[in-house]
Amino acid sequence: MNETTIKILVAGPCGAGKTTFIRTLSQSPVVNTDVPCSTANRATTVAMDFGQLSLDRYTIHLFGAPGQDRFEFTWEVLLEGALGVLLLVSGNDATHFPQVRRISDYLLSRNPVPLVVGVTHQDHPNCWDCKEVASYLDLDPTEVIPIDATNLESASELLVRLFDLVERA
Amino acid sequence: MAIAEELNTILGRMRTSVPELSAALVATTDGLPIAHSLNSGDANRLAAMAATALGLGRRICESFGGGGFRETSVSGDEGQMYIYSAGPKAVLGVVARAGANVGLIHLEARDAASQVAQMLERR
Ligand SMILES: Nc1nc2c(ncn2[C@@H]2O[C@H](COP(=O)(O)OP(=O)(O)OP(=O)(O)O)[C@@H](O)[C@H]2O)c(=O)[nH]1
Ligand SMILES: [Mg+2]
Repeated sequence: MNETTIKILVAGPCGAGKTTFIRTLSQSPVVNTDVPCSTANRATTVAMDFGQLSLDRYTIHLFGAPGQDRFEFTWEVLLEGALGVLLLVSGNDATHFPQVRRISDYLLSRNPVPLVVGVTHQDHPNCWDCKEVASYLDLDPTEVIPIDATNLESASELLVRLFDLVERA
Repeated sequence: MAIAEELNTILGRMRTSVPELSAALVATTDGLPIAHSLNSGDANRLAAMAATALGLGRRICESFGGGGFRETSVSGDEGQMYIYSAGPKAVLGVVARAGANVGLIHLEARDAASQVAQMLERR
């Protein structure tokens, strides 16, 4: 086995689409720890998501974090050894933006790795523009892109964007 | 009786039978506390952690063919926490100091977990 294994953390506020993103990209059955959410009509992750895919000569391990604040203690554990972070945020809810900044500060202060942001729920009529999200987060506009977490091609684009950043680093 | 009240009765009975327990709580599987009886510590934090342990435990159990998840534990030099499945919607967590009678804890806590499961099932 001479493939290189790379670990990537997928983080972001609840409902952003982290579990969906990993399900879309993974080439093996995804380990998910979703349970019904008490406060919304959907499922929510309580421990982690785990999926794998091959890209060129790399095996990528995607670890998804739970988005709800009360599971914050898992983030540091999941971040251990990650080469980069994919931060997802739903573009239809600006109330989540402060949390994105908080999550990014939390992660980067513990492990300063390359990070890119994917703005999900693009099909929503009032979705925020990526440039606005980038300026809110003080990021370079090239590091924030619109994605559809349910679409393989679109989800892969975010991964490629992170790889570009890792190579330049 | 309200849910929390009924659960508190179950927790109280268990704590009387096992005085070595320093904490007992029931949380939803997504980590919100429903009822708790703690000597110290933060119920919100403990509830989230119990749900995480349950969620991971279920998957680990599944991956080695262990069937339906029942319980898991975390032991340190000075204490231990046991986490029990309490039906599809809830989790029971108990904390004890090192040296506590583990057999008794399991006996009482498993019983309490099934009472919690039955009670929530009726709702
Ligand atoms: N339209 C649209 N829906 C999406 C997108 N990404 C996720 N969803 C939907 O949003 C909901 C929440 O997605 P999840 O993947 O569970 O969100 P999460 O980030 O894992 O949430 P937590 O585990 O609670 O932190 C699901 O119903 C998804 O189908 C997207 O890009 N576009
Ligand atoms: Mg999730």
